[in-house]
Amino acid sequence: MVIPYQCLVARNSPTPNGSDWIIVGASGSRIVIQSHNGAISTWPEQHAQSRDQEDDGAQERPGKRIRLEQPKEQKSNFSSLVLSNDGQYLVGVTGEDKTIRVFQIDRQNHLRQLSERCMSRRPSSITLTSDDSTILCADKFGDVYALPLLPSPDDDKVEQSETPAIEQPEEKEWLPSATALTVHSGRNRKTLEEQLKQKAKGPAKSKEPMRFKHDLLLGHVSMLTDIVCTKVDGRSYIITADRDEHIRISRGQPQAHIIEGFCFGHEAFISRLCLTPSGRLVSGGGDEHLFVWNWQNYYLSEKLSIKHSVWAYLETLPGQSYLGYLSYESFKIAISGIWNLPSSEPNRIGEEIVVACEGIPALFRFFTTGIGLRVSGGTYIPLSGNALDVAVMGILPASSTMVVSIDNIHKPGSTTEAREDKVSRLQIFSQQQDGQWQEDASMEDALKSFADQGLDEQVERASDDGKAVRDMLYNMENLRKRPGAED
Amino acid sequence: MPGEPAKRTRREEYKKSLQTDEQNAALPKKKFYRQRAHANPFSDHSLTYPISPADMDWAGLYPMYAKQETGEAGHADEKEQKQAKAKATSKDVEIADIGCGFGGLLFALAPKFPATLILGMEIRTSVTEYVEEKVRALRVQNASTNGYQNVSCIRANTMKFLPNFFQKSQLSKIFLCFPDPHFKQRKHKARIVSYTLNSEYAYVLRPGGVVYTITDVEDLHVWMREHFEKHPSFERVERGFEDGVGEDGEGMDECVRTMRVETEEGKKVERNKGSKFVACFRRLQDPAWP
Ligand SMILES: C[S@@+](CC[C@H](N)C(=O)[O-])C[C@H]1O[C@@H](n2cnc3c(N)ncnc32)[C@H](O)[C@@H]1O
Repeated sequence: MVIPYQCLVARNSPTPNGSDWIIVGASGSRIVIQSHNGAISTWPEQHAQSRDQEDDGAQERPGKRIRLEQPKEQKSNFSSLVLSNDGQYLVGVTGEDKTIRVFQIDRQNHLRQLSERCMSRRPSSITLTSDDSTILCADKFGDVYALPLLPSPDDDKVEQSETPAIEQPEEKEWLPSATALTVHSGRNRKTLEEQLKQKAKGPAKSKEPMRFKHDLLLGHVSMLTDIVCTKVDGRSYIITADRDEHIRISRGQPQAHIIEGFCFGHEAFISRLCLTPSGRLVSGGGDEHLFVWNWQNYYLSEKLSIKHSVWAYLETLPGQSYLGYLSYESFKIAISGIWNLPSSEPNRIGEEIVVACEGIPALFRFFTTGIGLRVSGGTYIPLSGNALDVAVMGILPASSTMVVSIDNIHKPGSTTEAREDKVSRLQIFSQQQDGQWQEDASMEDALKSFADQGLDEQVERASDDGKAVRDMLYNMENLRKRPGAED
Repeated sequence: MPGEPAKRTRREEYKKSLQTDEQNAALPKKKFYRQRAHANPFSDHSLTYPISPADMDWAGLYPMYAKQETGEAGHADEKEQKQAKAKATSKDVEIADIGCGFGGLLFALAPKFPATLILGMEIRTSVTEYVEEKVRALRVQNASTNGYQNVSCIRANTMKFLPNFFQKSQLSKIFLCFPDPHFKQRKHKARIVSYTLNSEYAYVLRPGGVVYTITDVEDLHVWMREHFEKHPSFERVERGFEDGVGEDGEGMDECVRTMRVETEEGKKVERNKGSKFVACFRRLQDPAWP
């Protein structure tokens, strides 16, 4: 079986006779890309294709060519994909090797990796500034770095000659930190002794420093889970969310050190942020509700009752045995995605958002009005397997199309049990005149071979009983704090 | 970490005896509250913290300053408001001692700023309990003058949750006295001062407010200086503020003077004849935003 698409992104640009679109998915360590004209390719390229390329580009820059066409075997799985606003670049993060990879999407729809930058901490979320110049990378250690999307040779030179003072802790040569006169706790004294011993042996091996331009913008002392940026009335903002229930609003560069405020209200981890076209902020994670914020005033304007909606949906399913012994109170959800949809009729009943929860075979729709604090319920779109990711395309003249990545290897409703039956790795819905979503057979046809491509799971599964794949697909619930942690 | 059972029982009995001995209001004894020196600021302690500053029960900490309730509670909204009011105080905390330890500085500052609310924040449970007991005892002992009603202490991991306690620009002074040095390189993010944490200090401090730092570890002093000086929201204060002039440091800021001698660690350093490094930083006005 082929590993499902753990990440899915799409972009479309309207043209006189419809629209040009591309869709990109990551299946394990492999990327698959398809455009509206049906051309499809993968990265790393398969042999047949790379042979073609070799012939094409034999004349130019032989040194570079060799490096590009023999990528060292890349085994890390992609944890996020972001398309640039102009649709020309793709930024991917591979988790295990903590690397940010920038690809150019050429006319033939092939991906060419332009750079790979290995961060010192594992990135948890990335985004691009609205002008596509800068990658903002939020990491598991709580820090946010700015990196140029396309580093200029000058940038990297600067970085090699001069180590920014901010990172001295990791990169500076070691000095003994205390003298015999310093007052110590027993522990500190021990550390000092160890350090003096270490000094005799020479400086400790520190981590490989990041030898490329990267600016530390801000940081939480908590794992960051999501980052978004936006510009309102000429002011740019960076919004960050962490595992300790914080949503922080900071100014954008070059004043990202200034915190403007916090949106307080969550009581469990936050896993996802989503800005709507009208500028509302929707957040969700381990809580029973999604929160809708008038974030420039740090004001909670609406609650959407996601847990209730999920429960109501599960009750309609036949044979959901686990509902039998779970009470509503002990039932927990973990939001894994929130997407806004360009509505065909904006502001009729509010802005439409779609939500996925870990291990749940459905998507949940809500309309946010942002008016008054009220709790609103949602409706659901049942799926043939757990929802993993959603790519939204605004294909004209039909209003919107949603491509949903389906977990084809675990049973619906479970994040651990293997699935025996075979289902498609994609489900595609288009919005009808009446606003309802319906499966779109013609798009399913158009994306048929895209739906089949990917990394074969046999390779992966052999060694660890599928744990690696499971951890890649489902890592939100792990963010929940366990009560009774040590003092 | 709780000690061996016998020790734990002794501690519990002692604490119980303190509680039943209201009249005498004996000061607590430190030996019953000692605790392993380092708490890990990254772990999920079973901490309690308010969801937001508005949810904080300040009246519980400063009962003399509890806001008087007014009006009748009608429908749900008003009831909620009334509840919020019941937790509020007529004044906001303006001075925070972060990592206050056994609270020496707090008790020295309280009579010096009788009209200002002062809060100690400490991550170690048992040390916090000691300070709370001492506050309680001193309030009873000084009931006639209402002394020490303006000082209190809570358990908190400030590195994660400072903005849960204080609004933007609420504080005028923050003290970081003898912070844990975290010598090991890989633990440097555990230090209470860093470029990124300084943004949080800047957030809760009002422009013109001051962060006070003191340490006996020169490396840590250099570290704190560098990280504050690099942060665009702060500038180092004038020399006179930190040192004053002449032998007895005339003109030195009153709080610097207090911090040099009244903190527990400051006293230990004094006894060991070690050196103390002071550095204070003023919160600047935020620059214009396009
Ligand atoms: C060396 S003691 C200094 C105590 C006191 N300020 C003095 O000068 O005597 C440092 C204190 O900071 C506390 N601390 C360390 N990290 C903390 C954190 N993240 N939040 C609150 N307190 C913390 C420690 O528990 C310890 O009591």
